[in-house]
Amino acid sequence: MLLAENTARARALAGGTDLVVDLKHAPGDVDLLVDVSQLPEFGGIGETEEGLRIGSMVTFSELMASPIVNQMTPEIVAASHTVGAVQTRNLGTIGGNLVTCVPSADSAPSLLALDAIVTIAGSDGKRSVPLEKFFVGPRKTILEPHELLVEILIPKKNLGKPSHFIKFGLRKGQALALVNVAAALYLNDDGTVAEPRIALGAVAPTPMFARKAEASLDGKKPDEENLLEAARVAVSEIKPIDDFRASANYRRHLVQTLTYRALKRSTEIASEH
Amino acid sequence: MIVKLKVNGEIRSADVSPETTLLKLLREHLNLTGAKLGCDVGDCGTCTVIVDGKSVNSCLMLAGRASGREVTTIEGLASSEQLHPLQETFEELGALQCGFCGPGMIISAKALLDKNPEPTVFEVRDALSGNLCRCTGYTKIIEAVLDAGRIMSTAEAKS
Amino acid sequence: MATKTKEVLESKVKDSEIEDLTAPDNLKVPAKPALKPVVVPVDKPVVYPLDLPESEIRLRTPAVGQRASRPDGRLHGLGQTQYIDDMTFPHMIFAKILRSEHAHAKILSIDTSEAETMPGVLATLTGAEIPVNSFGPTLQDQPVLANEIVRHAGDGVAAVAALTEQQASDALSKIKVKYKPLPAVFDPLEAIKDDAPKVHAPRSNIYASKTIKKGDVEKALKKSDQVFHKQFKTQMVEHVPLEPHSSVAMWDANGRVTIYSSLGRITLGRDDLARTLGKPMNKIRLVGTIVGGNFGGKNEITTEPILAILSKKTGRPVKGTFTRGDEFISSTTRHPFVMDYTTGVKKDGQILGRKIRLVLDGGSYCSWTSTTLGKGGILAAGPYDIANLLVEAHAVYTNKTTTGAMRGFGAPQVCFAYESHMDDMAHALGIDPLEMRLRNAFNEGSVSPTGQLLQSVAIKESLQQAAERFGWKESTK
Repeated sequence: MLLAENTARARALAGGTDLVVDLKHAPGDVDLLVDVSQLPEFGGIGETEEGLRIGSMVTFSELMASPIVNQMTPEIVAASHTVGAVQTRNLGTIGGNLVTCVPSADSAPSLLALDAIVTIAGSDGKRSVPLEKFFVGPRKTILEPHELLVEILIPKKNLGKPSHFIKFGLRKGQALALVNVAAALYLNDDGTVAEPRIALGAVAPTPMFARKAEASLDGKKPDEENLLEAARVAVSEIKPIDDFRASANYRRHLVQTLTYRALKRSTEIASEH
Repeated sequence: MIVKLKVNGEIRSADVSPETTLLKLLREHLNLTGAKLGCDVGDCGTCTVIVDGKSVNSCLMLAGRASGREVTTIEGLASSEQLHPLQETFEELGALQCGFCGPGMIISAKALLDKNPEPTVFEVRDALSGNLCRCTGYTKIIEAVLDAGRIMSTAEAKS
Repeated sequence: MATKTKEVLESKVKDSEIEDLTAPDNLKVPAKPALKPVVVPVDKPVVYPLDLPESEIRLRTPAVGQRASRPDGRLHGLGQTQYIDDMTFPHMIFAKILRSEHAHAKILSIDTSEAETMPGVLATLTGAEIPVNSFGPTLQDQPVLANEIVRHAGDGVAAVAALTEQQASDALSKIKVKYKPLPAVFDPLEAIKDDAPKVHAPRSNIYASKTIKKGDVEKALKKSDQVFHKQFKTQMVEHVPLEPHSSVAMWDANGRVTIYSSLGRITLGRDDLARTLGKPMNKIRLVGTIVGGNFGGKNEITTEPILAILSKKTGRPVKGTFTRGDEFISSTTRHPFVMDYTTGVKKDGQILGRKIRLVLDGGSYCSWTSTTLGKGGILAAGPYDIANLLVEAHAVYTNKTTTGAMRGFGAPQVCFAYESHMDDMAHALGIDPLEMRLRNAFNEGSVSPTGQLLQSVAIKESLQQAAERFGWKESTK
């Protein structure tokens, strides 16, 4: 209600690891902060009929400590572990990470790879959209000013889907990703790939799927050649930028190498099953 | 706004403006200057304190959010008779050079050892990855944390 | 659950290929006697200062081979060390500095009138009000607050003192500075060209040079079997001390100034302060306390004169602490070097002659550049006995952050160049890189490039022992 009435200069406060920094740099931009981090309907992790439900205000530390997340979606634990450092993970929330919507958001690729769905609540009710549609541009989501991200759902059919996440930063802790890659796939009985997903971060205005690369691998044997080909196709789909952290060319190179590795590891996990 | 919280076992309160961070509350209102302001954006870890058992960057936590919670700062680790084992091993192993990162390092290490008194080297590194040292004393710091863990688990076993 | 997380953590170790995390035997700390059980303290309020027995290690006689301990280690660990920003004084107020966003511009006007009416603001200051508006440890070429020309994005142009830091920051945005942008130069090789924009017009951009000559290098290069040439470049590096620069200034009614500062060189600082404030040195008391990381970046005054004058204007103690952003744009940094090495060798790897040109990116102001130029030049040939040598080193102004002292004063830059050059030559000649060094290294009684007779020279033994210890021969087979 408060947010709906004061939309222009009000912000919802989650973990604060991004927003508090923004407040320091531009203190005049916000008149009203609404702390949503303790709202019960925004918290909690649990299995429902539709799948695994993660409240948007669940912190990365809570995700990492959750037995159910560890068991059903270990790659979300691995991705959470790459966010900032312990102190950041103790405050930062998965919902906050998605809403801030930086291209390098560490939580995005592994959620995308599992076809996560987000639920949004606003003054005119609730709606659910695939996570891919949630991102609009750098620091821009589909959220209307009166809306909040309530929860994230990993569909039941994707719980336990073989998946692998790789973050590449300039140092191991406290670094923004130069490139993030998450892959997920099943293997058919004949050993061919089914439902491949390749999600990439920090190489386009928003976290993205490499759809053509996925298509190139779908139904094929996951041999060296096909995995490498998918990785090469992924490179053709990205729009990386040059900045002080890395050149666009270096990011292309990383995407190829890391996509290959993520696919390879996902295949290994799938064949162990 | 009035913020009332428990700091190092004592109930404290302060009247602060809403944008005040927990770090400012501690340093400027409660005169607890052990937590330092190093970068003010949550990168360096010099402001680390424990809130309800978890280490956080106090420069990123608004004071209002700490209301009603239990905060442990570096000033709350020693007793009048005894240093905390981490303070003892950091001193003895030379893990403190300029000392500016020390309080944050020790607090992060305490948050780790309280849950896991016998960590691996990797777990120590991981727990300290949000605390920067520029005098490059990480090796000694890691040794000191491992040693303190051993002292703490020995003490626990004997008690 | 804990086990699962642990597995995840441990599998990461494999991923990142951290192999052996334990120290080699010779670097290990001697095993400690059985650990003494201690009572883990319970939560109860502590009263400082504590009166506890001195740590055992502090009572040992210091000796080679024993672990050293710091006399202030305990205070650091207790969080009781008072760094400058931990200090507070009655009625203390806070200063913030407005910095230029232009790399090179003429200041047309500075209007602080609106800032002065902002809530909490007690005083403002511009460079025109500073008695002697220049400082520097070697050349006094840096304004305390720029009032005519800004020479890099980060030059201070005006200051505000207010009751809170937030009020001071808010008031900065109300100061109106009119600039006329000037052409700027950012590359030291561009800056040495005749038509480059002059950073300190009308003076040349080359503001310090050093030449070291030994023997006849041209003749030696001609006599060589092979001549190698390569250019090496290094980047700008910020010290990033975890403690940002911080000072508190108090101007008393007797006209004495007391300044608490995170400055390392207090006598030099006192001298610079006396000069800028136009006061005799005995009126200035500078208290240096524990420094939270210096690394060469806290070797000269920064905002101290500004705080002192703001204290005079307001009658209050004034504190000024850099933000992390201030640290990056307006404290000193390590010089980027452009290093051209030309070396003539015989087939067996013996160096006959070496020619070196160093161009130091000296940033917008001199700071400790001359010292860095000297040391970089003297050490540029490396620890090698080279009979014919020519080193030409130049420091050049650019419209970038000031470069100054940083650990090694230029030694790390030239070391990167001469050792990389050595490896390149060894590979090209098919000589083992260690052997290449042994054939050229200083001997007892060698003469350094600047003519010093060297004694107690142990470089060859050190190299050989080190190579043996880490298995050089095996690793290069």
